[in-house]
Amino acid sequence: MSQSAAVTSASPGRTARSSRAGRRFKHGAASAGWALLGILLSVIIWELVKAVGSVVPFPFNTSDTTMPNVWTMVNGAFQPEMRGSSTTVLQAVMMAAGYSLMIAMGGFIIGVSVGILLAITMQRFAFMERGLLPFVIASQTVPLIALAPLIVGIGNRFSVGPFEWSTTYSVMFIAAYLAFFPLSVGALRGLHAPTPTSLELMRSYAAKPRQLLFKLRFPSSIPYLVPALKVSAASAVVGTVIAEISTGVRGGIGRLIIEYSREITGQPAKVYVAVFGAIILGLVAAALVTVIDLYLTRNLPKEGPA
Amino acid sequence: MSVTSPVSTTAVRAAGIWKVFNEGQSSEVTALQDIDLTVEAGEFISLIGPSGCGKSTLLRVIADLTQPTKGTAEVAGMSAAAARQQQQYGMAFQQAALFDWRTVRRNVELPLELQGWSKSARAARAMELLEMVQLADFAGHRPWELSGGMQQRVAIARSLAVDPPLLLMDEPFGALDEMTRERMQNELLRIRQETGKSVIFVTHSIPEAVYLSDRVVVMSARPGRITDIIEVNLGSRDEDTREAEAFFAGVTAVREALRGRTGGSAARARVGEV
Repeated sequence: MSQSAAVTSASPGRTARSSRAGRRFKHGAASAGWALLGILLSVIIWELVKAVGSVVPFPFNTSDTTMPNVWTMVNGAFQPEMRGSSTTVLQAVMMAAGYSLMIAMGGFIIGVSVGILLAITMQRFAFMERGLLPFVIASQTVPLIALAPLIVGIGNRFSVGPFEWSTTYSVMFIAAYLAFFPLSVGALRGLHAPTPTSLELMRSYAAKPRQLLFKLRFPSSIPYLVPALKVSAASAVVGTVIAEISTGVRGGIGRLIIEYSREITGQPAKVYVAVFGAIILGLVAAALVTVIDLYLTRNLPKEGPA
Repeated sequence: MSVTSPVSTTAVRAAGIWKVFNEGQSSEVTALQDIDLTVEAGEFISLIGPSGCGKSTLLRVIADLTQPTKGTAEVAGMSAAAARQQQQYGMAFQQAALFDWRTVRRNVELPLELQGWSKSARAARAMELLEMVQLADFAGHRPWELSGGMQQRVAIARSLAVDPPLLLMDEPFGALDEMTRERMQNELLRIRQETGKSVIFVTHSIPEAVYLSDRVVVMSARPGRITDIIEVNLGSRDEDTREAEAFFAGVTAVREALRGRTGGSAARARVGEV
């Protein structure tokens, strides 16, 4: 290729990179706009259903005890949690959501680590893939409701030296149990992703197994890892909330939803505030994973692998 | 750029190579049948033949990427396995196989990194090679920002990184358009001139084989075997070579050998022995 062609194609590369950042910012602003519009629409539909439901009989209950007005919910968020208590409902929900987020993150980190280790083992040894994969898949068919009391029961007897098992760890364990699965399956596919040519190339360099893993298989697996991480994070959050409910662990958003739902006749807004707390918990988890994704994919073509 | 000194006069010696896939089954295929081939140091050899003639398989046996069923392959006076361990050859494929997540320079550094070279030494070596393939300006780019021909030049630079005496090339220009292809052929001849490497070059293209090679090894399929080795004496190549009588004579000789008519009316190209 001639030198002049080289120079002309060099400059578009550079401008593409700078305008990419600009495009990403515009893209982000647009998404935020759409999200706000979506929230606004949901509020309007909610109120519309309530308004129409008070005139025309609907096949479901639209009364204030089951579907409080949006402003009742907002107002309810700033009421004291209990009579005479100094914390508002919103504060209590946020604290509970923060607590659950910590547990979910712990479960996510454990689940991701286990998932990646499993994937590496299965990729490295074909007999492990044949032997382990059915168990990995079967593990997800066990109902969580059946599993939770078992884990609590087994864990309660567990202590190593100064370390004492608490029910909180059981919740984290269940979150990890749900989170490891999508990751191990995604990572396994990713580790198998390198093309035969790249594998031959690495073999021609007499690359050691460790070099093959870190210089080729891991980087090639990232396009598969990114969606797997998103599903894993969501699983960890759902697992935490459900495990909190079924183990009865205090302090988290799951338990709070159960407690507040008992007060639905007296203060219907409270349970909705707790539900929104759970939603925000999920969104924060998704945002954290997006940050991880942006870091992992920083060197890859934005329009997908070539 | 250090020129490899011709210590051993033989770059590659393949003796009695057989490669049989699915041996003993109904799907048994003899990919290579009793292949003998010697490549002298500094020689440019092309392997040409129809699909399924085993030319890529032969290249992979020499590269120790696949094991022969029978026979031995030697590279630089050692076994193919030892030669691979000691990086006695560099390889280039039809797909450039550059790593998307690395910059152009870091792609060229890859084999050096695997050999444990220091960061500064491998960066210097990579830049030297990128100068050679005239892509120094693109050192910081990502592979996907480059055209197919440029990607292939990066792959060639990468195959030269550890300065091996031998290049093994498996249809490296097969996916390029005709214009780029001819430019790349000239580049390759220039690089080979500068570095004194021995080359084994697998191709489908008769003009490409004749233009590039000192000897064209003609193979036929089922079973894959060498049917002819045609010597090409074109002297130093330039754009006029492609329109010269001797070039056409070489093309005719290879074409007739591929059709199974050996010893045809080759003007300056002679049918040689192994």
